[in-house]
Amino acid sequence: MEQIVFGIGITALAGALATVAGSAEDTESNIGSQGDPNSQVQLAPQMGFVHRIFNKAVAGEPPAYALWCALGAGLAWAFLAMHVNAVLAIVLGSLLAVFVQGIYATTAYLGRTSSLAKFGQPVYVDILKSMTTVAMAHAFVAIFCTVTICYLINAALGHPFPLPLLGFIWGIALGAAGSATGNPYYGKERQYQNQKFGAGVPISASGNIVRYAEAGERNSIDNGFFTAKFGGPASGLCFGLIVFLELWRTILFEKVGAGWGAIIVGILIILVFTIIDRYMEVWARKNYGPYTAPAKEAAP
Amino acid sequence: MTVKVEVIEGGIPHQKIMIAGLIATIVCLYLSYLNVYTNTAYFSFFGGLAVVAALIWGSHTIKVLCSYGIGTGVPSAGMIAFGSGVIAMLLATKFGNAAPIVALILAAVIGLILGYLANEVLNMKIPVMIQSLTELAVVGALTLMGFAVLITGSFTFTGLTTGSVTLFGMISMPSYQVSFIGGGLVAVAFLLGSIAVQHPFNACLGPGWKQDRMLMLTAECGFLSMIVAAVMSFALISAGAAIISLLIALIGWVYTYCQYIELSKRDAYAWLDAKPIPDVEGH
Repeated sequence: MEQIVFGIGITALAGALATVAGSAEDTESNIGSQGDPNSQVQLAPQMGFVHRIFNKAVAGEPPAYALWCALGAGLAWAFLAMHVNAVLAIVLGSLLAVFVQGIYATTAYLGRTSSLAKFGQPVYVDILKSMTTVAMAHAFVAIFCTVTICYLINAALGHPFPLPLLGFIWGIALGAAGSATGNPYYGKERQYQNQKFGAGVPISASGNIVRYAEAGERNSIDNGFFTAKFGGPASGLCFGLIVFLELWRTILFEKVGAGWGAIIVGILIILVFTIIDRYMEVWARKNYGPYTAPAKEAAP
Repeated sequence: MTVKVEVIEGGIPHQKIMIAGLIATIVCLYLSYLNVYTNTAYFSFFGGLAVVAALIWGSHTIKVLCSYGIGTGVPSAGMIAFGSGVIAMLLATKFGNAAPIVALILAAVIGLILGYLANEVLNMKIPVMIQSLTELAVVGALTLMGFAVLITGSFTFTGLTTGSVTLFGMISMPSYQVSFIGGGLVAVAFLLGSIAVQHPFNACLGPGWKQDRMLMLTAECGFLSMIVAAVMSFALISAGAAIISLLIALIGWVYTYCQYIELSKRDAYAWLDAKPIPDVEGH
């Protein structure tokens, strides 16, 4: 019983950390226009819309975060093997991983922008300096929280996988959660505030992203500020739920039926979420969506 | 293979880069064998140099492959390179000092099969697919082997699966948990390599693509990965050897990073600091 209570405590802590990680991850990727919104940021200058938005596409978010988290975890593992204190090891590992992330971000921006010279897109050094540091700060929070989750799973819950491998797996999960949940809010909503709500992205509007802000020109910090209010927390909730439910089902039901209990509960959770998602989608379309055929007006 | 590889306009032809990359990688991997002769780990940094050489070759292969309109497939090209390479590399480590050559042959076979499946079974019909996937698998296997040498000082199976734990600063005992494979560092090496091999083309693609800028970025990515791998190697090899690797990586990285910024400055439309969006005709 004591073990289960301890396990649930760790689960709750990991879930909370995951929520923070998810929301920091989404804000970071939005500041860098990574993932979903990237194609339009890349396309805009080619359509004549020169902009001041940060464009760092290292890879899709899942592989990129798999690297940052696996690297943070691998370095933390190495420091732990050198008998460094666990908290310090995780902080140092995450710091070095963030250094790599920042360097990748600058080279991605420089490379992408220089290759667009033909379309008159200049390299903005101030964008490079101010956006990279903000993105790095958010990435640090995301990596630190994820590596801590991995450490808790490994050291407190006794998971047999070594720390770097857990970092790899949870890094992919983190990137996928942010990419699937928070990014469309920036890519479909924020970039196209000048289009009719719910209109999708018509071909004629391709690349015509919003480039001017309430005052002056929009940059990626404005985008991070905007998505941190809704897209970020939504991604956090998503990743938090993933981590929490995953650990919860393992801890409570692992002993049932030689491990099959946890698997059956996992399938049940998926079924419950599928039903909730379907219901919500239908409900949202009915109430907000322009998907219903518009009523035909009588011919004059 | 009768596939003809197009020469990239105004640059070094791909065949040349491939041959140079292959030879440099194999030579560097074998130079790390000096570790065995001198019974130290001071020559582990050759593993890192092998990584840089293999990555330069690999990123150019990705450029050749992805010229056929595989835009969003750039990161996945890196993943398949290392996914197929890791099998060959792990199996090859069982062959003692023939490991690099065995890894090369095994990876080429795996890559050939994957390329055949992609082109003939999945019907992708991309002319350079088979050759490119073969090359990428070899690049993946040799890069992973380079990381293994850099971090552990050895490319044999025993070296990669056995580490040692020091208790109370005196008693040293073998441990399988504290090793390249047992500790899961192979996962980190996998990602370091697969992101580093796809990033240069992914970052430099576009109408203004330049070969020298992309290859400089690849070298930069290689040395950057070498820095963090050298930090990890402190856990598995002697501090002196790890410091040598770290210093070489830092020097290489600073040089290539500065060069890359210079090349970006050369190719950019304008290099502005806190300036508004310029007026482009028609908007």
